[in-house]
Amino acid sequence: MNVHTPDSGSSDSRSGSRRSLIFAGVAAVISIAIGVVLSYVIHWFPVQASTQAKETDTLYHVLVIASIPIFVLVVTVILYSVWQFRMKPGEELKDGPPIHGNTRLEVLWTAIPAVILLGLVSYSFVVLNNNEKKPAGPEIQINVTGQQFEWSYEYPSSLTGGAPLKSTQLYVPMNESVYFNIKSVDVIHAFWVPAFRLQIDAVPGITTHWRATPDRLGSYPVVCNLLCGVGHSLMRSAIHVVPQARFRQWLALQANSAPGRQ
Amino acid sequence: MEAASVTHAAGRAAHEGAPSGAQAGEHGEHHGPPPANRSSRVEPQLLGMLLFIISEVMVFGAFFTAYFFIRVAQGDPWPAVGTTLPVEVAGVNTLILVSSSFTLHWAEAAIKRGNHFGLKAGMVVTFLLGATFLFIQINEYANIGFAPQDTAQATIFYGLTGLHGAHVTIGLILLLIVCIRAFRGHYSPEEHKGVEIPGIYWHFVDIMWIVVYLTVYVI
Amino acid sequence: MIAASIARFRGPGFYRAALGFVLGIAFAAAITWVIRAATGHHTFPHYLKGEAILVVSLIASPLFFLVGLGGFDYWFAWAAGKPTQPEDHSSHGAHGWKDYFRINTDHKVIGIQYTVTSFFFLLVGGLLAMLMRIELAQPGAQFVDANTYNGLFSVHASLLIFLFIIPVFAGLANYVLPLMIGAPDMAFPRLNALSYWLLPIAGVMMLSSFLAPGGAFADGWTAYTPLSVDAPVGQDFFTLGVQFAGASSIMTALNFLVTIITMRAPGMSFFRMPLLVWANFATSLLVVIATPFVAASQFFILLDRALGFNFFNSGNGGDVLMYQHVFWFYSHPAVYIMMLPGFGIVSEVIAVKSRKPIFGYRMMAFSLLAIVMLGFTVWAHHMFTSGMAMWIRIPMAVTTAIIAIPTGIKIFSWLATLWRGVLHLDTPMLFALGFLTTFTLGGISGVMLAMVPFDIHVSATYFIVAHIHYVLFGGSLMTIFAGVYYWFPKMTGRMYDERLGKWHFWTTFVFFNLTFGPMHILGLQGMPRRVATYADQFATLNLIISIFSFALGLSTLIFIYNMVTSWRGGPRASANPWRAMTLEWQVSSPPPIFNFDRVPTVVGGPYEYGVPGAVHGMFAPPPLPATVGAGSGSGGGSSGGSGGSGTVGGGANPFGNE
Ligand code: HEA
Ligand code: HEA
Ligand code: CUA
Ligand SMILES: [Cu+2]
Repeated sequence: MNVHTPDSGSSDSRSGSRRSLIFAGVAAVISIAIGVVLSYVIHWFPVQASTQAKETDTLYHVLVIASIPIFVLVVTVILYSVWQFRMKPGEELKDGPPIHGNTRLEVLWTAIPAVILLGLVSYSFVVLNNNEKKPAGPEIQINVTGQQFEWSYEYPSSLTGGAPLKSTQLYVPMNESVYFNIKSVDVIHAFWVPAFRLQIDAVPGITTHWRATPDRLGSYPVVCNLLCGVGHSLMRSAIHVVPQARFRQWLALQANSAPGRQ
Repeated sequence: MEAASVTHAAGRAAHEGAPSGAQAGEHGEHHGPPPANRSSRVEPQLLGMLLFIISEVMVFGAFFTAYFFIRVAQGDPWPAVGTTLPVEVAGVNTLILVSSSFTLHWAEAAIKRGNHFGLKAGMVVTFLLGATFLFIQINEYANIGFAPQDTAQATIFYGLTGLHGAHVTIGLILLLIVCIRAFRGHYSPEEHKGVEIPGIYWHFVDIMWIVVYLTVYVI
Repeated sequence: MIAASIARFRGPGFYRAALGFVLGIAFAAAITWVIRAATGHHTFPHYLKGEAILVVSLIASPLFFLVGLGGFDYWFAWAAGKPTQPEDHSSHGAHGWKDYFRINTDHKVIGIQYTVTSFFFLLVGGLLAMLMRIELAQPGAQFVDANTYNGLFSVHASLLIFLFIIPVFAGLANYVLPLMIGAPDMAFPRLNALSYWLLPIAGVMMLSSFLAPGGAFADGWTAYTPLSVDAPVGQDFFTLGVQFAGASSIMTALNFLVTIITMRAPGMSFFRMPLLVWANFATSLLVVIATPFVAASQFFILLDRALGFNFFNSGNGGDVLMYQHVFWFYSHPAVYIMMLPGFGIVSEVIAVKSRKPIFGYRMMAFSLLAIVMLGFTVWAHHMFTSGMAMWIRIPMAVTTAIIAIPTGIKIFSWLATLWRGVLHLDTPMLFALGFLTTFTLGGISGVMLAMVPFDIHVSATYFIVAHIHYVLFGGSLMTIFAGVYYWFPKMTGRMYDERLGKWHFWTTFVFFNLTFGPMHILGLQGMPRRVATYADQFATLNLIISIFSFALGLSTLIFIYNMVTSWRGGPRASANPWRAMTLEWQVSSPPPIFNFDRVPTVVGGPYEYGVPGAVHGMFAPPPLPATVGAGSGSGGGSSGGSGGSGTVGGGANPFGNE
């Protein structure tokens, strides 16, 4: 049987030498730096085509930058322990020092994450609020209907000036806030425009909403992002962001070419 | 139900001195496991039943969630337009069910005093009261004038009362078992867990009914 | 001859079970016929007769099967007032492989039944994932059609969640938990046997949905309404399969709770329990409280489907979102049901393999309870984009973020346990360390998902798929591997092959990250989950992921090979090859049939490594100089159970802790 002597860390490497600690610290800082740089280099997102997308992407970068040190800390401690404290030949029956805890440390690693999290959640609510509040200035409304397996859109009379216009095409004016009213006639779908970073479910029985201010011309995918049956992966559409004048023009054209519709 | 049997090994003190008494006694014939230590004063079966009741309460909780969403969150009229709920009949029925809890209690008190006749009589009356409740409930379904397929409110009504009815049925089966065993003379003033533990379930079924009655019929 | 074969069908066993199964179907046919005739079946015209029979027999035939198998024999006798034998222990222990196919009330046999069965479902579920990855290797439909694909991932997730992660933890705990607390068995052995036998039933049911007309259930493991209400009959296999799996887990949880509360060895106060016991205590609380909700959610679906109820029929006033609230009120706690036992395993492994006491034992226990409580307050973080009332997002996001704090306490305490230890970097430890890294990543991506605006973009994309696998594979499965290697000597009496174990770890760890890491990017870039075909821009990454996922699948075969060959012919394990202090290691490997010849007495904490003379539990009062099995392969492990050989350290003062 072996008698365990708690070693006081003097004679062997159990406590880790100062040099190796410094090395680990430097390695950690470098990894964090590399991580942060990488997080800027990597092309994470599709293009930003709305003001909301910019806010959300910034939030994402903040989240990543906050996460990298936490992850690097965990991995560094693991690797350092493996490096310094692994069992060496002759230590088969040796035990580590009987440390049961350390209140100050435990308070620290409760409090610091708490502060970080509090900061992050608060910031995310700021972003949420910015993204969802009604901007000053005029706002148009468009009604969206999901059904297995296609999207259809309705431009209300407030836009057309006459009868509401139904279409399978989605045109929105640049730099104008758009408020979408989203419905479903059968099962749940989700109305998602990745370029806007916005989505919400289309739920039978209720109307849901989101609001976006497109700020980049072009056509972007509209994706159904909630499993709605066999055709789910093909339930795609497109959103065309066009200059305001072109938008009004398009509306007028549609209204004329399809007079029977209402 | 069953549980490993009991010793009263003397807690943490048993580490020193001679082989501790409680355990050394059973040594020798090794036909079974050594009796387990009993680390809590709670009866295992009783604890099991209480935990089971917690999860039963949660099943009801889920149905009440459905009720909440349809009646409160959606704000639909209750009961659905054009339907009425037989509050009085159900009220009488409530009294019947509640009284069965009392008769059950008498039965339990009787066996604790060793009164076998009281046990049998109490159990039979309890069983009959429960069965009457169930019968009236089914009769109510037959005459209520709406079906669960009609509206969401009707769905919840049948859902909650039906769930409770299913529990009454299970309770009645348990009571029936107790009756059988009572008539076979299985219980005694010392050993009446078999009455008590199904009894707890029955009391739970009763209390649950009061909640269902209040939320579905009265409020 | 004839008499003998009749006897076969009368006694409990597979013959009678098969008969029961057939009778169950007959019963279902009869009862549906009677009820439909009595009620005038035109009331539900959409409802085919065949479907009615199917649904009823999905409920009835498993029960009849169990009756046939003998699962209820004791209770029937008891209910009828017949004299019941006090436990004669004839169904204790396994004397050959056949005993694993019977109703057996020995927790050690049940533990192995559970573990092996659930690993079988890991292989099947993993195989389905391989099929999915074949389809996803290229955009467009090549290999399976959309409906089959939807079935594949639905069954994949359902099997892995309900028939692998949840039960495998219950299985490992079934084996070691009674040993750890010094109990001869679980509190309700017969209930224990029944909970096991519900599992293969649930699994076979879910798998056989592939044979149903219209294909397997195909609405994901979440079965959102109203899609699942109108789905083909395959859905019923999920709806009812979940009931059986859920009933099994509730029964096991009751059993664990009662066992832990009432059957601890003398001296084992709550704060002397190993953390695995704490973890299962916490998990069982979660199960008892949360699982009824998933049962109810599937009842609702069943009633809507089978009898035309209106829970989710928005046309008649039903509420579609109600399903999601009820479902997630279970399924968020369920993710902790799938993680907390793993935390327990890792605590055991890290303490023993670092040769140090667990750092901050009490906080480790309290943080488990904190997670249990917080776990019930966050369900709507799965519904940020569901269209529920907007304000609910705020409190739910806050509680979701808070839950990272107790989890962080655990991570940091494990790190502190490593610090200055003597790390034995063998397979269980490697998996534990791998778990720490990958789970931290998965947890952090979870915290990012709690940030509502970000979740609004990535909800239901491959970012979520990445999160799922980082926490479930990188979290739960890593701990399961750690636990299986760690207790393999105890459960089988053999040592596993260390070299293969290390190969298994490194291949798994590397290919895991290469498979699931890139999924984060896919999600951010806009690839939805649950699609069989996708836009061309995602092709390259998907091909890479598919290739690495096959390598990941192959790495599992190393594990299987190691387990099978070592179990059959590995070197004999000593009683305590890891020099661990917890009680399960103080008896022989495998343990004697009734665990302990005498109930041990607990005199100290479970992790007093490095404390001179510390003892956790002892069998004989005076601490004899213990001959502790040092290292593997030292002789037959037959003796450990008796006498004073069980103490570790064996110094003078048994109270020398803390
Ligand atoms: C084992 C299973 C498991 C576990 C443990 C977790 C843990 C967590 N999960 Fe996850 N989750 C799932 C399984 C799991 N999850 C599944 C299966 C889904 C998808 C379901 C579906 O739709 O099919 C899901 C989905 C999911 C969503 C919904 C996304 C969506 O659909 O839009 C969210 C949102 O908040 C979320 C959050 C979290 C959080 C915050 C944790 C936290 O508990 C994590 C806490 C841990 C850490 C944070 C790491 C360690 C901590 C530290 C090192 C301290 C310091 C850290 C910080 C300061 C950040 N999860
Ligand atoms: C513990 C849970 C768990 C585990 C271990 C896994 C393991 C794997 N999962 Fe899964 N997965 C989920 C839980 C899990 N998953 C969940 C909950 C979902 C969400 C589903 C939903 O949307 O509803 C999901 C969804 C999911 C998707 C998204 C589907 C979609 O949205 O379209 C993908 C895609 O790649 C995937 C892949 C994989 C892969 C490659 C593995 C690999 O790790 C698998 C490795 C392979 C094996 C372990 C088996 C090896 C066996 C063999 C090679 C053959 C030998 C066997 C026999 C002969 C029987 N999973
Ligand atoms: Cu519509 Cu998916
Ligand atoms: Cu969750």
